[in-house]
Amino acid sequence: MTDPLPLRRISPRGGRCILPGAWLGATALLCLPTLLHAQSVCLPAPRLLTTMPMGGQAGTEIEVKVTGQSLDGSEQLIFSDPSIIATPKLSDDGTVVADTFLVRIAKDCAAGVYDARIMAGLGISSARAFSVSDVPEVTQTGPSTSLETALEVPIGSIVNATLVDRSVNFYAFDAKQNQRIIVDCVAKGIDSKMNPVLVVADAGGSDLIVERRGGIIDFTAPQDGRYYVKVHDLTFKGGPHYFFRLALTEATADAVVTRLPATKSVNSFSWPPPGVDDVPAADESELAAVDDGAMGITLPCDVGGSFFPAADVDTYQFTAKKGETWWVEVASERLGRPTDPSVVVQRVINGGKVVDVAELADIPSPVKRSSNGYSYDGPPYNAGSSDALGKFEINEDGTYRIRVTDLFGGTRNDPANRYRMIVRKAAPDFALVGWALHMGLRNGDRNALSKPIALRGGAVMPLEIVVVRRDGFDGEIELFFDNLPEGVTATGLKIAAGKTRGIMLVSAAANAPRGLQMADLFGRATIDGQDVVRHCHWASMKWPVTNAKSEIPDPRLVDQIPVSVGGIEQAGLSIEAAEDKVWQVEAGGKLTIPLRLIRRGDFSGKSMALQTFGAAFERNARFDLSLTEDQSQVTLDLARLKTPQGDHTIAFYGGAVAKYARGDAKPKDIVDIYVSKPISIHVVPAEATK
Amino acid sequence: MTTVSDHNRIQRWLLPAILALGLLLIQRPAPCVAQTPGDPVSFVNDVVPVLTKAGCNAGVCHAKAGGGQNGFQLSLLGFEPLEDYQHLVREGRGRRLFPLDPPRSLLLAKAAGDVPHGGGVRIEKDSKNYNTLLRWIQAGSPYRPAADPDLVAIAIEPATGTLLPGESLNLRSIATFSDGSTRDVTKTSLFESNDSAMATVTESGQVTALDLPGKVSVMVRYQDRVAVYNASIPLGQPVTPPPPNNFIDELVFANLKQLGIPPSQVCDDATFLRRVSLDIAGRVPTEVEARAFAADDAADKRATAIDRLLRSPDYADYFANKWTALLKNRRDDASDITSNFAFHAWVRDNLLAGTAYDQLVRQLLAATGTVIANPPVAWYKRVKEPKQQIEDVAQLFLGVRLQCAQCHHHPFERWSQEDYYSLAAFFSRIGRKPTDTAGEDLIFHQRGMAQAVNMKNGQPVPPAALGDSVGEIPPDEDPRLRLADWMANPDNPFFAKSLVNRYWKHFFRRGLIEPEDDIRDTNPPTNPELLGALERHFVDSGFDLRALIRAITNSKAYQLSAIPNEHNLVDSQNYSRFYPKRLQAEVMLDAIDQVTGAQTSFANLPIGTRAVALPDNSYNKASPFLRVFGRPEATSVCECERVQSGSLAQSLHLMNAGDIKSKLAAGGGRINRLIGEKTSAAEKINELYLAAFARAPSESELATALQYINEPRTGADGKPLDETRTLRENLQDLTWALLNTKEFLFNH
Repeated sequence: MTDPLPLRRISPRGGRCILPGAWLGATALLCLPTLLHAQSVCLPAPRLLTTMPMGGQAGTEIEVKVTGQSLDGSEQLIFSDPSIIATPKLSDDGTVVADTFLVRIAKDCAAGVYDARIMAGLGISSARAFSVSDVPEVTQTGPSTSLETALEVPIGSIVNATLVDRSVNFYAFDAKQNQRIIVDCVAKGIDSKMNPVLVVADAGGSDLIVERRGGIIDFTAPQDGRYYVKVHDLTFKGGPHYFFRLALTEATADAVVTRLPATKSVNSFSWPPPGVDDVPAADESELAAVDDGAMGITLPCDVGGSFFPAADVDTYQFTAKKGETWWVEVASERLGRPTDPSVVVQRVINGGKVVDVAELADIPSPVKRSSNGYSYDGPPYNAGSSDALGKFEINEDGTYRIRVTDLFGGTRNDPANRYRMIVRKAAPDFALVGWALHMGLRNGDRNALSKPIALRGGAVMPLEIVVVRRDGFDGEIELFFDNLPEGVTATGLKIAAGKTRGIMLVSAAANAPRGLQMADLFGRATIDGQDVVRHCHWASMKWPVTNAKSEIPDPRLVDQIPVSVGGIEQAGLSIEAAEDKVWQVEAGGKLTIPLRLIRRGDFSGKSMALQTFGAAFERNARFDLSLTEDQSQVTLDLARLKTPQGDHTIAFYGGAVAKYARGDAKPKDIVDIYVSKPISIHVVPAEATK
Repeated sequence: MTTVSDHNRIQRWLLPAILALGLLLIQRPAPCVAQTPGDPVSFVNDVVPVLTKAGCNAGVCHAKAGGGQNGFQLSLLGFEPLEDYQHLVREGRGRRLFPLDPPRSLLLAKAAGDVPHGGGVRIEKDSKNYNTLLRWIQAGSPYRPAADPDLVAIAIEPATGTLLPGESLNLRSIATFSDGSTRDVTKTSLFESNDSAMATVTESGQVTALDLPGKVSVMVRYQDRVAVYNASIPLGQPVTPPPPNNFIDELVFANLKQLGIPPSQVCDDATFLRRVSLDIAGRVPTEVEARAFAADDAADKRATAIDRLLRSPDYADYFANKWTALLKNRRDDASDITSNFAFHAWVRDNLLAGTAYDQLVRQLLAATGTVIANPPVAWYKRVKEPKQQIEDVAQLFLGVRLQCAQCHHHPFERWSQEDYYSLAAFFSRIGRKPTDTAGEDLIFHQRGMAQAVNMKNGQPVPPAALGDSVGEIPPDEDPRLRLADWMANPDNPFFAKSLVNRYWKHFFRRGLIEPEDDIRDTNPPTNPELLGALERHFVDSGFDLRALIRAITNSKAYQLSAIPNEHNLVDSQNYSRFYPKRLQAEVMLDAIDQVTGAQTSFANLPIGTRAVALPDNSYNKASPFLRVFGRPEATSVCECERVQSGSLAQSLHLMNAGDIKSKLAAGGGRINRLIGEKTSAAEKINELYLAAFARAPSESELATALQYINEPRTGADGKPLDETRTLRENLQDLTWALLNTKEFLFNH
């Protein structure tokens, strides 16, 4: 392990230097690209980028090498399951081998994908998927980029490997005639940047079957002999970030294929609804046809089905009474399928004809998602889904039908494209997901860096929480954190009634000690008079994408929400109200809050523009805060904001360019988000002060 | 104050003007009595054909499609007579006609050259057509007389025939009207030969055969109808074809017998292997393959070689290269790389898997989802507008060029704007959602009734497939699937025909219909029986592309020598010999690499990737070779975008370009290997010939080559070079010479 490097504060340079204007201008011009390039986005954060291997067999101990960013001072490799334990590898002389751990996977550890993280000097790192299997695993140590250098792979094993740029990896296996071999490869599903292409080739290397859409190859050997599996990226990219796990599995002719486990997409957070069984009550194949091929159901229902064959239309028929209201929820994309379910409810009228009652569309993203434009205009996370959720009302007694189709399914012939449909009476509820706040930090900025909650002393980190509301629930949701490390507090800026977004501020005291906790983030609401608490899922970018124009950000859900304090650095700037109190103001009045700046480093520019968090304050005009003064103030015009009376919590946030250096390194301009400590405001009726 | 002279002047000008105005007011409502007796003149059936015959409504003259001239616009070729009537009679305050003095009408004065006219004299005074216009104006320029019949059909007499070289024949154009009457409209019909090198036709319909034997057609047009005269021009030589291998031979040789064109001999084995390897796999045979084929005594070794090539990934690579260019797999932005690679791979993998052609087209037409999950969606990234979609689909998969019908009735076909927009209606329910990649949408079926708006009349039109009803499409059904169903119907008159003609051209250089994507009644095939048989074979095989290629390449017709006999050199359309083709840019680059043992490095692709396996056009930019030899930029669905003609730049590139020199001198290349091998000079030469031509050198070639190989060389300092260096440079020169031969540069 290397020793943690302390933050070096940069002092303003003294003295004067007089240079001819022309020379200065020329120098400035020459340096301009360098200067622009020199300004990077977001302060360093620990990021675990690769582990090699990316998994292992339960009941074994393996050596795992890690790479990443800002992992100086790595102490622990931590997994999201306690049955996977890592210890630093020691050399023969007892010293720690850098970036290398011995990982013990308990025999009873279930096969699946877990999160691995490093506790580094700056705190906890971002997560990297780590798989556990129940078959022997091989870690590829050298390239196998030709038929001649193909790596022999025993059937029934998994290979952990990376790709070489502009190359194809070759793997050899022998098969008997009519032997069924399933070739599976997981890459995106374990955080790799690779879009896998699988090819099964004959003994001469000629392609027999190709799979490029992330599926398996179900190969039955035409004759005894040697075969090859070729693996490459769709665009032949390679390098350590293009890793994959390749499995060759023998299967009987009638066996149902199980894929290698993978992580979950962000939008899967809203599935399943609370209280739903793991498997549906019925499958479409078990239902009896009643009319025109429609399958009979009674409401409520929970049915599983498949968008198969191509252009499949599944029609369910039922009777309903006037005045009833039913909610329909279909999951398919959230089950990981590349589908776009569509639901149309129709009433059967005379002669078997039907009239439309309702057409249920996608689950919209709770907040406007960033477009692919010049700069961010929303978070780069998709919490919406192409799955369907909505209600229909029965205006007269009769026979009705629900038609379920896949708007992507016209030519798809994949029985694995399954769906699940639940029709229920209203069961108001909500599902939450959050992520570290992203925002454009400079002109045209589209950074999408993975952001672990690795706090510096005195820092306030904003988290963005969004909600999918179910079955008409419209109330406000309070946000709160449990199990925070010592010296860390969290303040939830609630999701207001009818709104879909809230902010959670996680603050570390200036002197907060180094620490780590797997925290729990919750939302609490009152539904039908009952106190309902829901766990908030957590999402993160898989990679520190510095420019989403050149690399598509790829987030996923992670298992846990680790919150840490590094304890070796402090935030360059803290902003807080001059007094720690509840600020009282009458409705429609103006509130001036004195602010205090605690600067622990230098900044480029004399001021920063601040915006306001807080449900009733987000429309507060952007204002400038001096970065050279220790005191400042902000005035809030509640009349303009139309802030209702009651208790509010707000914070101010904006981007500032710090001059940051670690150790003896040359200082760099780094723009990052700075957030004030939460400020409590109590708005009283205008008459209250008269 | 008015003077006497003023008064006189006023009298002289004003009075006639007042009189003329009065007469005009009197005359306008009541047509003047016709000065020339005869039938009533119909604007539709008489005047418009005259204007068309005179070229007034041609694209370069007053046709609206070409912008008209000086504000006077007519519909193209008179397809919209009512609009033309408005333009001619009403527009410009009626200035184009002068009922008071019809011969002074601007229409006649311009056409006859009485006043300056940019188009010159179009109608001679006192000609029949001039009098028709005159009579019409004299009759008060009516639109149509009462009971004016509609044109029902046009026929050409005779419809078929045989013309000896130099022989002429007068064609007659006979119109049939809705009242059952017929009329000889030869003088107001337009005639056009489809191949003026084979036959010419005069304005009056006299067709004259020239010296080239084969099939030629003359199109006659009257109003919006066309008819075709098909003629055979025989060579008249005795024909003794080789025994047929399959139905293709029977029909090709029957046609040759009819025309009296004797076919060349069947080519030798080496020529066949090279030809079929280039045409199926886009590569020259390896010397190992060439040796093995030469040594094989099996009677069916040609069929075996065809099957082997068809099974190979090289076949999929080569034809994917052909299709992806036509499907516009074009890189306009660096971020296109993923979708372009995915789309190319999708085409290639389906060809490798043997996906039936109708299924391939179906998956493309009705593609939904994201590019990664469903790569044919990438086509909708390149072809975004519904109009472009139907134009591309019609041209590429149906061989029908519909572009004209967007704005006006198709000049050579029966397609109207209604046909155009009803085809566009199939693409009217395509939903799009943006993805994370700029410019790339995901595609979904947007529920609803499919329809498009006819831009001419503003009326909504439901989907219909080139005049065929496909029934009512419910809102839940993706209309594109119904279009795909219609295409795959065995009775579809376009789908299979278009493909077999396209593939026929791939192998024979000339389509049975030329251009290959312009199938219409007025552009008949040179061998309709063969085209029909190929179409049936393809449909019966389940749209199996490999089966089609297998049938074509196993035919003796395909295996004929490219060397003409004493009679068939003049034949360029009946396949009496193999028509040599210059190697395509990518194929030639691969062939040079294969002969020299060098490898061309392409960005983002593994070393060793063949040029025919390049996924998109982006590689043209970095490769002068590919540009010079005409690799297409994938901007068009027309195969003509690929430049196959020769040029000085190509010759200079092959002779002098640095990349050719570096390939000859490649460190790991063939020449360096040959130098290191303990083989005789004759064996080295033999290998080079096998690699380049798939054959061993003849005795004289070997002798010449040996003499050259053994020649001593001197360096720049005038001193003799050592033996190894001499051999290297001599072998490089010999290889350079082989690469610059026509035998290497052409598939023959």
